[in-house]
Amino acid sequence: MKGRLQKVEIIVLLKQVPATESFVEIADDGVSIKTDRVNWVINPYDEFAIEEAIQIKEAHGGSVTVISVGPEKASEAIRTALAMGADKGVLINDPAAEKCDCLGIARILSEALRNVPFDLIIAGQRAVDDDNFQVGPAVAEFLSIPHISMVIKEEIADGKIRCHKVVEGGTVILEAPLPALFTTQRGLNEPRYASLPGIMKAKRKPLDIKTLADIGLDAAKAGKPKTKIVSMKFPPERKDGRIIEGESAQAKAAELVRALSEEAKVI
Amino acid sequence: MATSPETVLDGLDSESRQMVIDTVRQLKKRLLTKEKILEFDKNEFFPEETIREMLGPEIGLQLLVIPEEYGGMGGGTLDCAEIIREISSICLGVATGFFAIQLGSDPLRVGATEEQKVKWLGAIADGKVLVAYAVTEAGAGSNLAALKTKADPVSNDAGKIIGYKINGTKQFISTGGYADFITVLAKTPEGPSFFIVEKGTKGFVQGKGEEKHGIRASNTSPLSFTDVFVPVENLIGGVPGQGLKQANEVFGYTRLMVAAMGLGAGEAALKIVIPYAMERIQFGSPLSEKQGYTHKLVVPNAVRIEVAAAYIEETAIRLDSGEKDLQVEGSIAKLFATESANKTADDAIQALGGYGYISEFEVEKIKRDVKITCIYEGTSEIQQSIISTFRWKKTRKTKGKYYMAISSEMEELNNVMNDAGCLFYSLAASALNDTIMLVNDNRLTKEQYIMFALADMMTHVEVGASMARKAMNFTKSGDPEAKKIRAMSRIFANETSQLVARNILKILMGSGVFDQSSISDFMETVSYNKLICSFQNIIKDMDMVADMLFERG
Ligand SMILES: Cc1cc2nc3c(=O)[nH]c(=O)nc-3n(C[C@H](O)[C@H](O)[C@H](O)COP(=O)(O)OP(=O)(O)OC[C@H]3O[C@@H](n4cnc5c(N)ncnc54)[C@H](O)[C@@H]3O)c2cc1C
Repeated sequence: MKGRLQKVEIIVLLKQVPATESFVEIADDGVSIKTDRVNWVINPYDEFAIEEAIQIKEAHGGSVTVISVGPEKASEAIRTALAMGADKGVLINDPAAEKCDCLGIARILSEALRNVPFDLIIAGQRAVDDDNFQVGPAVAEFLSIPHISMVIKEEIADGKIRCHKVVEGGTVILEAPLPALFTTQRGLNEPRYASLPGIMKAKRKPLDIKTLADIGLDAAKAGKPKTKIVSMKFPPERKDGRIIEGESAQAKAAELVRALSEEAKVI
Repeated sequence: MATSPETVLDGLDSESRQMVIDTVRQLKKRLLTKEKILEFDKNEFFPEETIREMLGPEIGLQLLVIPEEYGGMGGGTLDCAEIIREISSICLGVATGFFAIQLGSDPLRVGATEEQKVKWLGAIADGKVLVAYAVTEAGAGSNLAALKTKADPVSNDAGKIIGYKINGTKQFISTGGYADFITVLAKTPEGPSFFIVEKGTKGFVQGKGEEKHGIRASNTSPLSFTDVFVPVENLIGGVPGQGLKQANEVFGYTRLMVAAMGLGAGEAALKIVIPYAMERIQFGSPLSEKQGYTHKLVVPNAVRIEVAAAYIEETAIRLDSGEKDLQVEGSIAKLFATESANKTADDAIQALGGYGYISEFEVEKIKRDVKITCIYEGTSEIQQSIISTFRWKKTRKTKGKYYMAISSEMEELNNVMNDAGCLFYSLAASALNDTIMLVNDNRLTKEQYIMFALADMMTHVEVGASMARKAMNFTKSGDPEAKKIRAMSRIFANETSQLVARNILKILMGSGVFDQSSISDFMETVSYNKLICSFQNIIKDMDMVADMLFERG
C-alpha cells in the first residue's frame, strides 16, 4: 500500500446558463435571447465538475477554485459552488469578454490560469446554452496540458489520472500525467445540494472579481471573435390542424383521401 | 422587490435566500420527484426518512427557522415565507411536516428561557428531531380557550414544584405520530401553559395517523397523556399561565406562513394550467386562445395569486423591519391567499377537463391538499371574525383615519400612476370606512354575517392597496413585469370595487333596518355609482393579461 496521496489543487471551469425549463425568446437583435425572464443556473455539466472536484479534495486533500467568465450575475453561480464546498471563486467580468466566442472565452480562462498552480482542471463537456463542446479542450490546448473528454469515472494515483469514458459499444480507459484537464459526462456522480450550512459558509469564502486587464489580457484583442452568430430561429411552428367537413362518413373519407393525395401529396 | 435599502431587515441577504430557494428546487430532482410525491399521496405515506434527510447535514433546511445564536441560520420572515412557499409548490404534505417543526419551535422562540432555547432549539438545529405542535383537542378547535388537557403541579416534600403531571388528549396533530418531542398546551392552575414532552415519556401515547382528504404525505395523529410526568424545566418560559399569550404572539407570523403555503400550492396549479392550455387543442386551436376559458378559469386566479404574493411579501418585510402586532395582517394574508389558492386549484381541475380529474396530472392532488390551508392555524371564518373585529375597533379608535389614510394614499398614487386602478382602491377604502361607521352606529356589529361581509371588504381593500404599491415600485424601478402588475392591479381594483359595492347592498338591504331614503342617501355618500363603474374596459385588461400569461403577441 502506498502512503496518502499528494494534495490535488483543482480548478473548475463554470458557466452560468439559463435553466432548461426557462421560457426562451429571441431578442430584437435576432442573434441573442431575451434574458429578463430567464432563470439562471449552473450549467448542469459543470455541476458534475464541481461535485467531482469536491470528492477528489475530500479524498486527497487540496483545494477547489471555481472560475467563470461572465457578467456580475454569474457570481451567484460561483457562490452556489462555494456553498457546495468549493474553496475559492474567481469571476472575470469585463464588457470586452461579452463579445467573445468560445475560443475567446477559452483564451481568457487559460490566461487567468497561467500563473496559478494547479494539478487538475475539470470542465463540463459543454454548456447547455450554446452547445459548443469547445471551451474545455481549448483551455487544455492553450495551456499545453493533456485533455480527456466526457469522463464517467476517474482515479488519481502517482501523479497520473486515469479516466473512463463511454464510446460506441464499450468503455475506454485513458491515462494522462497531471496536470491535466478532463470534461464531464452524465453518470460521473450525483452533485450534492448546496446545504444551508454550506450557504452560510459560502458568504465568508473569497470571490475575486477581475477584469481582462487584471489578468494581463488586452481587451481589444481578446474580444475579437472567430465565429459569429448570424441568426437564431425557433423550430418551425406546427400548423393548425384541420377538421374535414362532410355530409357522411363516406364523404369525409373521400375528402380526406383527396386531401392526402392532392394537397399533402403523401399518398 | 420592495425592500428599501435604508432599513436593515432581519434575515438573510437576498443572494443567500435565493440559494436556499435553489436548493429546495433541487429537491425536485431526487428527493421529491413528481413520482415520489404522487406515491406518498396515493399510499398515504409519511416520508419520515425523506424529511429527516431534509434536516440532515447535507441539506439542513430546519436551520432556516432557528436563530443564529442557537446554531441556526437566522432566516427572517420573508426568508421563511419564500422557502415554505417553494416547498409547498412541490408538496403541501411535505411542507406541513416541515412547518410542524417551525410551529413546534415557535413557543420556544418567543417564550423559552435561555437555557431551554439552547437545549431545544439547539436540538432542532442539529437536525435529528422531528417536532410537533399540539394545541387542538376534540372539544377545543377554533376555541382554544376550551382546552381540557390538564397539567397538575407535582411538589417535593419541601413543597417546591418539581414538575407537572399531564392528563388529556390532543387531536389532529401534524407529525404527532412521529415527533421526537412536542410542544403541548395544557392547563395549569395559573392558566394554559406550553410544555415540552419527549417521545417515549411514560404515559404519552402517539396515536395512529388519520386517513385524510389531502396532505396525505403528512401525518396527523391524536395524542394521549395519562399521568405524564414532565420536570419543571420543561415548562416553557418557566412561568405557568403564559401559553395563550405565547400562542397569540406568533399568530401574525405563523398565519403568514400558512398564507405562503397556500400561495405556493396555488402557483403550482397555475404552472400546470398555463402550459397545458397552450398545448391542448380543441376545435382546432389551443384552449389558451379561447377567451371565455381564459377569463373564467385562469386570468382571475393568476391575478389573485399575484395580489396574495404582493401582500405576503409586504407583510413579511414589515415584520422583518421590526414592526410588531401584525396579527390582523397575518389573518388577512391567510384568508386571502388560502381562499384564492383553493379557488385556483379548483379551477385548475376544470381547466384540464377530464385530465384534471386524473391523478397523474397533479392538479386534483393540489386541490385536495390546499383545502387544509383554509382550515388549520385558524379557519377562514375565524380569520373573518378576527379581521372584522379588530379593524372595526381600529376604525372606531382612529375615528376613521385608518381606512381614510389608505384612501388618500391611493388617491395620491393615482395622480402619479393612473393605470393601476388606484382610483377605485381609493373609493373602495373610503366607502368601506363609511360602512364600518354605519354598522357601528346601528349596532349591527353583533350580527356575525355582517361582520364577515365587512371582513371581506377590509381584506380586499388592504391586499389591493398592497398590489397598487407593488405596481408603483415596479414602475419606478423599471421592472420588466411592471406593465403586467399594473394591468393585474386594475383587474383586482375592479374586483374590490364590485365586492365593496355588493357587500354594501348586502348590509344596507339585508339587515332590514334601513328605509329606502337612508339607503339612497348612504349610496350617494359612498359614491356607489362611481364604484360600480370599475368595470370600464375590464375585458380588454383581461385580454392583455391573458396575452402576457400565455406569452402571445
Ligand atoms: C390535517 C390537519 C392538521 C392539523 N395540524 C394541527 C397541529 O399540528 N396542531 C394543532 O394544534 N392542530 C392541528 N390541526 C387542528 C386545526 O387547527 C383545527 O382543526 C382547526 O383549528 C379547526 O378546529 P376544529 O376542527 O375543532 O373545527 P371547529 O372549531 O369545530 O369548526 C368547525 C366549523 O365551524 C366554524 N366556526 C368555529 N367557530 C366559529 C365561530 N366562532 N364563528 C363562526 N364559525 C365558527 C369553523 O370555521 C368551521 O367551519 C390540524 C387539523 C388538520 C385537519
